[in-house]
Amino acid sequence: MKTKFTMVVPTIKLYDYLIVPIQIELDDLTIEKLQMQLLNEISEKKIRGIILDVSMVDVIDSYISFVLSETAAMAKAMGCHTVICKIQPQVALTLAQMGIKLKDVFTANSLEGAVDILNRLD
Amino acid sequence: MDDKNFNDIDININDYDIVLKIKDENDIAVSRQMAKSFAQKNNFSLADVTKIATAVSELSRNIYRYAKEGYIYIKKKETEPDKDVSIEIIAYDRGPGIENVEQAVAGGYTTSERSLGLGLSGIRRLIDSFYIKSEVGKGTVVMAEKRRRRF
Repeated sequence: MKTKFTMVVPTIKLYDYLIVPIQIELDDLTIEKLQMQLLNEISEKKIRGIILDVSMVDVIDSYISFVLSETAAMAKAMGCHTVICKIQPQVALTLAQMGIKLKDVFTANSLEGAVDILNRLD
Repeated sequence: MDDKNFNDIDININDYDIVLKIKDENDIAVSRQMAKSFAQKNNFSLADVTKIATAVSELSRNIYRYAKEGYIYIKKKETEPDKDVSIEIIAYDRGPGIENVEQAVAGGYTTSERSLGLGLSGIRRLIDSFYIKSEVGKGTVVMAEKRRRRF
């Protein structure tokens, strides 16, 4: 398949949903590339819902949170909802203590839960 | 390497287990990983390992973003062997300094466009003791300490 953009995370298309299992270290450049990748995929593959699986992500700091929320806001502008699923307990604890709120995203504790949320939104 | 001296804080780099120069974007992720494995090695709980790694990530990003380059120093402190263990983190730069330290530490304030302004205020909530010294035109030093909880 021809792609005009860099793929930093391999994704899985399921109906018009896109499952994004993040299994790499999220440095600043990577998360910015991921943002571009997802926006391009939404547009090219006519995606109506994105599921970000962050179960393998050990650290989510303020900038990563910012970019995730920003990506969700951009996706929303393109008619696509974003669900973040399986945030690790210690990551949730850290985010809450820092006072970081993930805006414009839905959250779920399982992949099934994430699909359910997207199904209900249609 | 020379000892760093910034106002009333003396940093003797030989005392530190980890000395890391932050000069490009990639160093943020490196510092985060190093802090994480250092805390794990010293038997901090999983929650505290995550908090320490997150705090270091914020500090490194501040250095890279505002000062372009600087240092992260990390060391283990213990009063007696196996008693009251803590990890001390110092972020040091000779960048532009912070004009309004109180606002920056209170949170929700940022001079950067792509930021939540929750870095410094967040660090303060994640760790046990926090000290910041910043002078415009001279630089910034942040000292953070996290004690190991005993269960």
